[in-house]
Amino acid sequence: MVTDQGTVFSVRNLNVYYRDFHAVSDVSFDVAKSEITAFIGPSGCGKTTVLRCFNRMNDLISTARVEGEVRFHGVDLYSPEVDPVEVRRRVGMVFQKPNPFPKSVYENVAFGPKVAGHQGKLEDLVEEMLTKAALWDEVKDKLDQSAYALSGGQQQRLCIARAIATSPDVLLMDEPCASLDPIATLRIEELMFNLKQDYTIIIVTHNMQQAARVSDRTGFFTVDVQEAGKRTGRLVEFDETGRIFTNPSRPETEDYITGRFG
Amino acid sequence: MKSHEEIRHRFEDQLEAVRGEVVVLGHLVVENGRRAAAAVLDNRLSRAAEVIAADDEIDSRYIHLERSVYELLARQQPVAGDLRLLVSLTRILYEMERSGDLAVNCAKSMLRQDGFRLPSTLHALLAQMTEASLDLFTQAVTALSSLEREAGIRLQRADDVVDDLTGEYYRTISIESDTLGLAAAIELSKVGRYFERIADHAVNIGEHVSYIVTGAFPRPTA
Amino acid sequence: MNAGSSAAEAVANSLRRRRSGVGGLIFEVGLVVSLLAALGILATLLAEVIQGAVPVFQDRGWGFIRGPLTLSSDTAGVWLGIVGSLTIAALVALLAFPIGIGAAIYLEEYAADTRFTRFVTTNIRNLAGVPSIVYGLLGLAVFVRLVDGIDGAQRNGRSVVAAGLTMAVLVLPIVIITASEAIRAVPGTIREAGLAVGATRWEVIRHHVLPAAAPGVLTGTILTLSRAFGESAPLLLIGVTTGLLTIPKGIGILDRLLGGYTALPVQVFTYARQPGDLQDHVAPAAIVVLLVVLLGVNAIAIVLRNRWEQRW
Repeated sequence: MVTDQGTVFSVRNLNVYYRDFHAVSDVSFDVAKSEITAFIGPSGCGKTTVLRCFNRMNDLISTARVEGEVRFHGVDLYSPEVDPVEVRRRVGMVFQKPNPFPKSVYENVAFGPKVAGHQGKLEDLVEEMLTKAALWDEVKDKLDQSAYALSGGQQQRLCIARAIATSPDVLLMDEPCASLDPIATLRIEELMFNLKQDYTIIIVTHNMQQAARVSDRTGFFTVDVQEAGKRTGRLVEFDETGRIFTNPSRPETEDYITGRFG
Repeated sequence: MKSHEEIRHRFEDQLEAVRGEVVVLGHLVVENGRRAAAAVLDNRLSRAAEVIAADDEIDSRYIHLERSVYELLARQQPVAGDLRLLVSLTRILYEMERSGDLAVNCAKSMLRQDGFRLPSTLHALLAQMTEASLDLFTQAVTALSSLEREAGIRLQRADDVVDDLTGEYYRTISIESDTLGLAAAIELSKVGRYFERIADHAVNIGEHVSYIVTGAFPRPTA
Repeated sequence: MNAGSSAAEAVANSLRRRRSGVGGLIFEVGLVVSLLAALGILATLLAEVIQGAVPVFQDRGWGFIRGPLTLSSDTAGVWLGIVGSLTIAALVALLAFPIGIGAAIYLEEYAADTRFTRFVTTNIRNLAGVPSIVYGLLGLAVFVRLVDGIDGAQRNGRSVVAAGLTMAVLVLPIVIITASEAIRAVPGTIREAGLAVGATRWEVIRHHVLPAAAPGVLTGTILTLSRAFGESAPLLLIGVTTGLLTIPKGIGILDRLLGGYTALPVQVFTYARQPGDLQDHVAPAAIVVLLVVLLGVNAIAIVLRNRWEQRW
């Protein structure tokens, strides 16, 4: 599954449990550099859980337990010597609902680099990040204003700028357009194509059409309902997006993307 | 067309690229058509063989472009003009591929007869007819390139010239049938038929182009 | 068409009918009456107090504020009470606020949700409801004795320091509760966002959670000060001076802190027990001063809260 560009994440036999609840079962795949990889599937299939394994955000849930291998540039993220704080500097995240800090636009972007001990002029870095996030022109005169004064789409682009400010090589996006209107959504999709050159992007989306438009590779997850109503997620198919949406290999994939099953 | 800022740059680029490649394919078809006409007119069997070989490239491009269009349809959820463009491109691709096959048919006719020795009147007429037909096709390809609104109607009318020339061609064949021999006369009629159909495909392409632009098929002339 | 129009008519009629009957009206009237009754009682109390107090202010004005604790109604004032109450308030702020806010941060941000933590939180809530006189007993048993032996001289421990310590312990549960609530009100999404850019837990708390919780914490803590001003029962138990008190001029800070003292509500108590002008006029005047101080503290809290809330 390795492409010419190289593999950034290598997942093998990933299982996630919340206490006794088996949320994600035996997932294996590779994420290629400078590609956009999308996770699609019905609710409860574990796609967000898998995404959050990549930056150890599942650690925040005390009952979560991760088994299996998640390798980032060859290093197992869950081995004891790995510092989750450092992982999160290298793997940025954008959330479903824009969540800027209750501070100014400038401070939002500057916070990450500041606590990471950034040497050099922060103003230049902030400008560079806001430019990369296609937001600079709209906020360059408003850097000291509250982030909450921006529109939803602008706030989300600000969150993107904030996420890339620590110079990660990966950007995780958890349904980033779910709370945005269609035009703001298309803007962010366009932005993702530009960001792809410098960052590997993994996006979870419940919007299949978005995955079809935007991604190079798509992973389709589904949920198995076992006895006693237990729902466990698994990866059904992981392939080039063009192939998934014109001629998927698994019937479950075809049923899902054609809308015959939710 | 766009008064607001462009957002889906990448999709735009992809549409332009695919349309451009179909135009290129169209030019290849014209080129091979000329090759076939020259083979018949100059009585060169080697050229006929080239025509058949060149069609492989046309076929493989056709398959590749069809796949590209389908992928765009599946992945980009086009509507309105974009949808008309992509659906029409699949039809135009078909017309082009068939036209390519027609050139091959000419070449095969020639090979079957081991060449044609054409009387001068027939030669001149065939030259005119093939030129008119291929010129019409070129106009169709250009219409796709420039997205000409009136292409359908204009090409429908221009086809009349080809039809007239073809009629005269058939009449001349009957006149010269004794000199030619029955077998040759039949094959030469077929050649005429092939180029007439190339012209028909050109008109169809023109109509599809009008549909892309206006959303309506130009009413067929009587 | 007829069926349609009669259905439409039925809808129109039902829209125009009013359903709320007499019951609703009586209920509304009852509510208004209760409100007026409550306001009426308050107004009456206030009127009585102000009526009694007016002559004192008219005659002496600022002199009343500065006056000593004596039995002479012409010179009696509230200065010592003000000083005592302010000192207690300062001690409360110094002791209860840092400890209380720190405990709140620990409970909300660091402590895991174990049986022990829940046990602690429940008991803090219980402590907030304990009658204040119990804290007086605690103060007597512990702080008075503590201060008693403190610098060797013969003190009886009945000092403003002991009072400050006791009041600090009294308001501590409330500080913890209000600070906890303010911290909890900070949306989890902000913490998530902070952690996701690679900040440590403490960095997130320090740069985002605390600043966002600050208005709530501030308002809550300032309001506990008003409680500290008003409580007198525990003070009575730990030996606040209810009789006369004179602080000799020129004594050192240590002596002031470790010696006799009084507080504003206790001063009211002192004056109110003496018949005559003291009871009729001086005590109400002292009450007015107390009310003004309380209103002032609350007003500061509200102003600060409004200013903070407008920022974002």
